[in-house]
Amino acid sequence: MSSHADVVVISAGIIGASVAWHLSEKKVDVLVLDKSDPCSGTSGACDGMVFLQSKKPGVHLAMAMAGRHRFDNLARELDAEIELRCRGGIMAVTSAAELAAVTRFIQEQNRAGLGVSLLDARQARDLEPCLSTDIFAATFCPLDAQVNPIYLTLAFLDAARRHGAKVLSRTPVMDIRITPRGVYAIDTPRSIIETRTIVNAAGVHAPEIGKMVGLEIPITPRRGQILVTGPMPPLLSRCLISAGYVAAKYDPDIAGTGSMGISIEQTARGNFLLGTTREFAGFDTTASLTAAKKILSRTQAVIPGLANARLIRTFAGLRPFTPDGLPILGHVSSRPGFIMAAGHEGDGIALSPVTGQIIAELITGTTPGISLTPFHLERFFRGTVS
Amino acid sequence: MIFKKRCDVAIVGGGVCGLAAAATLADQKLDVLVLDENRYLGGQVLRSLPWPGNASGIHKIFRSRPRLVDKTATPSVTILNHTQVMGIDKDLEILAEKDRKEIIGIRPQMVLAATGARETFVPFPGWTLPGVMAAGGVQTLMKGAGVLPGQYMVVAGMGPFLTAVAGLFLKNKGMPTAILDFGKRADTCRLLVHGFRQGAKILEGVRNLTGIFLAGVPCRYRTMVVAAQGSRELEKVVAARVDSLGRIIGGTGKTYKTGCLATGWGFVPNLELPMQAGCSLTHDPDLGGWVVAVTHDFETSIPGIFAAGEITGIAGASISMIEGELAALGILKKLGRNVDVHRMAALQRQRKQSLSFSTWFNRLHRVPDAVFCAIPDTVLICRCEHITMGEIKTAVEKGYDTPAMLKKVLRCGMGLCQGRTCGPVVNRILAALTRRSAEAFPVLPVRTPVKQVSVRSFLR
Amino acid sequence: MTRNLRIPGIVRGSRIQFFFNGREITAFKGETVLAALMAAGIKTLGVDPHGKGRGALCGMGVCYQCRVSIDGRPGRRACMAQVRAGMVIETEKDLP
Repeated sequence: MSSHADVVVISAGIIGASVAWHLSEKKVDVLVLDKSDPCSGTSGACDGMVFLQSKKPGVHLAMAMAGRHRFDNLARELDAEIELRCRGGIMAVTSAAELAAVTRFIQEQNRAGLGVSLLDARQARDLEPCLSTDIFAATFCPLDAQVNPIYLTLAFLDAARRHGAKVLSRTPVMDIRITPRGVYAIDTPRSIIETRTIVNAAGVHAPEIGKMVGLEIPITPRRGQILVTGPMPPLLSRCLISAGYVAAKYDPDIAGTGSMGISIEQTARGNFLLGTTREFAGFDTTASLTAAKKILSRTQAVIPGLANARLIRTFAGLRPFTPDGLPILGHVSSRPGFIMAAGHEGDGIALSPVTGQIIAELITGTTPGISLTPFHLERFFRGTVS
Repeated sequence: MIFKKRCDVAIVGGGVCGLAAAATLADQKLDVLVLDENRYLGGQVLRSLPWPGNASGIHKIFRSRPRLVDKTATPSVTILNHTQVMGIDKDLEILAEKDRKEIIGIRPQMVLAATGARETFVPFPGWTLPGVMAAGGVQTLMKGAGVLPGQYMVVAGMGPFLTAVAGLFLKNKGMPTAILDFGKRADTCRLLVHGFRQGAKILEGVRNLTGIFLAGVPCRYRTMVVAAQGSRELEKVVAARVDSLGRIIGGTGKTYKTGCLATGWGFVPNLELPMQAGCSLTHDPDLGGWVVAVTHDFETSIPGIFAAGEITGIAGASISMIEGELAALGILKKLGRNVDVHRMAALQRQRKQSLSFSTWFNRLHRVPDAVFCAIPDTVLICRCEHITMGEIKTAVEKGYDTPAMLKKVLRCGMGLCQGRTCGPVVNRILAALTRRSAEAFPVLPVRTPVKQVSVRSFLR
Repeated sequence: MTRNLRIPGIVRGSRIQFFFNGREITAFKGETVLAALMAAGIKTLGVDPHGKGRGALCGMGVCYQCRVSIDGRPGRRACMAQVRAGMVIETEKDLP
């Protein structure tokens, strides 16, 4: 059996779902394939922070800022509850050494127009009384927000379906061929699907899809463990990261201070999500108690009230890591019609609306509002012949 | 972490299975550690009063308790009670929370998971009212504390466990209002005939039935609870006759005034720990659905981790005891000790014989899919996250028809009990609604901690 | 209560007092909190987000429906905790 779609999006994670919705809104005939169920990979195993403060000044921050306002109307556009809360975010600074590095970091962010303010310990506790008295200082960015990543992914898909998109769950892509007529033929256990345009939004599995068309895609899974507490009364109203989080992510200046990055958010239901590790352990998603112990002692040092919590669950997600920390987006010059939308590591949730928008614009022939050159796959094979 | 302990074998679960294994291993002077969440050994079956001087106890089914507990009272067996196991790491290290206040680490050479079973339910309107309890919970209250749940009690659900609970209640001067069994009256007779080979258990059953009959307690068969009602707590139970598919027969409704309803629909294995450890499961509808896959020697797919008792198949306490001993012999074999092969063969024979009865018993008491389809939309399925049958149906209609998707879309199973109560029910509902075999629905993955622990314990 | 729900003829531990929502209740050392409360005729152990009562279900530490606050510590399972003299037990209102 064979069928046809104008665009085939591979994977129904948050990026694939957003791309599908944006395309379907533009009346493009789109089919989403997922080897499992929607949102069963990284997007279903992460926290829901839409954090701008954590983005490195430069193209990354610019993209996040360009996409941030999209969240404001998203619930209405998607006609779904996505548990969006726009109360800003806090970065906790725990030492003088961190403070020096953080000051430089936010100066750059503010030059880019983000609007981050530096708070002393008292101001920080005025904002979030649950913070430890040991906090050295904090930064605050009013644009940071929280969302339920699972609800958002499913809302993208539901809305896409309402606009005519088709979603095939439990339909793995086994191979991609080019037919004599010059179109892609996607082999699945159910059928062969012919299309001129493929969007590879397979996250950590994007390299497997790339291989099918002869492309090497430098995405590796980076495990992040997250702990879940039982529902607690409202304690923390904003999402929070430590300065060490930014360090663990990319800044050697802060990394030198030796602190591990933590992230804390209290969900709409009241559960705390406490993170996170950044480990290269292949596709192993087991969560270890050693890591749990580390995360608990570090998060509780920032919010002492967490001592009263009960740890009910842990999970681990595989973040799609790229060597330079930037996602891989846009056309691949050597493979006409093969478009990349993967490699967002821990930023997939925050960048999902803007990524979907850009990819949809690209496919429908509109020039995206952001230059995609820094995000092209080709940046990794400079000097080599593809 | 307060201490790290090494031992030859760590047994998780101090019920009949775990104790039988511990006793066998102790005979060989192995260094054995028994971990149990409860304060007293014995699990659910051997549960008895915590106070000395109550020699005979209030139940007489299992007289083996003193023997088993005595046998494990040797220097080579260490009991860690009030200890909640959180998980087993890849190198077989077990982490547990002791006395709700400290995390301990145990490094055994081998692990035996003997985590037993829990009750499962068919939810009905009003089953969340205070006063509606699991039949096993009511039994525990009587056996373990000498307390009746009330003066009057309706017992409802399916199978002979109902009469066991009602019998115990009656014996202790409680007044059972009625016993409402979804099964046929003829099934009880078949069970009595078939079960004569089962010895003591059937005698106890006959004694219970006789007592119930003499006391004039109404026993209604092919009858189900339609609703539990009450303004703040349970006040009355409305029941009706049903057909074999659980469809209510009009005009047969009957109301019973009672402040207590014990409901029991059979048992499901506690798979959380073996699943967290990575042990493979297998599906056997005649032994409780998903169970831990084990070899002839009761070793799981993870080398060094053994599993026995109800988690390898719901088959009753006597088989759990046999399996406990067999698993212990399997462990001894793996450790290179000499094992009495004749004893092993004899136990395997006994097990095989009893297992055919259990399989027959389970088939007889299998709740039809239609019963799960018929649950009214307003009934809460996931108590922790307040998810109703109607919400589940809507989600399934939208294509979210796996346990994992229901968890994502509805939070079903994401609450404090982590799906222990709703999980097995949701799997049956999904199978029933989608007309697929229960095998098509995998159990949700489990990660540490298998049961919640306090953050404070970690910080010490 | 019209009748004592404790089964007669059982040797029990020493008599102790504890508090449930401010009310003084007699129990016996060695009993679980759930047993002591049930013996006193108390079945409602918490309030669900819709204001409805919540009581024990499994009675063996699985379902977490019997959770109460004990000496200020929230979320303790009444069926697994042992009653102690002077214990202060309170019902909890569940979060929505």
